[in-house]
Amino acid sequence: MKKIRVGVSGINAADNPGPGTGVARSLKEDFELNVEIIGLAYDAMEPGIYMDWIVDKSFILPYPSGEGDAFLSRLYHIKESHGLDFVIPSLDAELPLYIKYAEALNERGIRTFLPSMQQFKLRGKDLLSEVARKIDIKLPKTVVVNSPSQLEDALEKVGLPAMIKGIYYKAHRAYTRADAHQHMHALAAEWGFPVIVQEIVAGDELNVVGLGDGEGQSLGHVGIKKIMITSLGKIWTGVTVKHEKMLAAAQRFISEYKWRGPFELECIVRNDDVVLIEINPRFPAWSYFATGVGINLPSRMLRRALGMPVPELRDYAAGKLFVRYCLELVSDMEKFQMAVTRGETL
Amino acid sequence: MNKIAHLALNDEGFVFDPTTGDSFMVNDTGLFILKKLRDNTPLGAIAQGICDEYETCLDDAERDVTDFFGQLKSLSLHPC
Repeated sequence: MKKIRVGVSGINAADNPGPGTGVARSLKEDFELNVEIIGLAYDAMEPGIYMDWIVDKSFILPYPSGEGDAFLSRLYHIKESHGLDFVIPSLDAELPLYIKYAEALNERGIRTFLPSMQQFKLRGKDLLSEVARKIDIKLPKTVVVNSPSQLEDALEKVGLPAMIKGIYYKAHRAYTRADAHQHMHALAAEWGFPVIVQEIVAGDELNVVGLGDGEGQSLGHVGIKKIMITSLGKIWTGVTVKHEKMLAAAQRFISEYKWRGPFELECIVRNDDVVLIEINPRFPAWSYFATGVGINLPSRMLRRALGMPVPELRDYAAGKLFVRYCLELVSDMEKFQMAVTRGETL
Repeated sequence: MNKIAHLALNDEGFVFDPTTGDSFMVNDTGLFILKKLRDNTPLGAIAQGICDEYETCLDDAERDVTDFFGQLKSLSLHPC
């Protein structure tokens, strides 16, 4: 089978791990695919660069800022100098550029499998109420604040304590009005308005990772509960679950929006109530858990995108335990040196 | 009753709820009750079963069953 060179970002497998090494590992575990993983890193110290059993070669990319000229040029250089057939972007900050330039990348032979820009914007917290309604789950009481003068009204409606959230990124818990104002100003300074004021919901955090084919059909999804999280709020242990209402909502999300590509629904579940907290339009950092229980979503996505046969979807078992661990590796300074001086590894 | 029917039990008293991912431990009596609930055994018959199995009086058995039902409810596992 012809080698498929797949670029994977988010290979920062550190204490705040990116999804990339899990995605790469999943692709490597489809032994029928002849995949070469090209690590797309932003820092020479991203652990994935040195995990040579998963990542075959790495390049350092410029940050995906501005109009993305430097970023795109770098991808084209990788294509021309080494080869790059497909990219799976795993980080929020780079998704807008990849989505915006998906067609241009495709014309250069770099394929992706991503949502449209309109679909991508559904993750905006100002649109979550519409999404929650369409997929028949609840949303915490939410008020969108477009200027500082609107915050007090929002707090009256939502109450305290409340979550103060940026439109796409960051969330802070506010216990007092002063907290709320401080967080609002900080978020507005970093990400602009609107800022979201949201009720805090008690319950268990259950998440779903899924993959839509862009035509309303699911290519697979797996539900989990986080059992132990780190001080940074990242999963350390988890268990697969089958919460019917939550999984049905994931299915509806795929079919209603004809979602294309991977996604994660973050929910709070209390008895039979499922409350939508966030939508992530990419693989989450724990996505290898799905592969581990037999639903290899990165592989299924690559196969679907390249017109290859996609295996029949299997069911997964609830009660499978996910355990993250630390493992050390010893590499050579030469590899770091090459990443720093040449921006690529051998 | 459906929620109890879906629980995964083992003979050592480990209980896993595949819907929520919650897990907990029960003692022998708790395991006995859960198995009876999965068979749709009425409360009265469960209490009588405890009397027979553990050689205790009916009053104590009924109280234990009622107390256990309360604990299940607190976990959103309504027995009836």
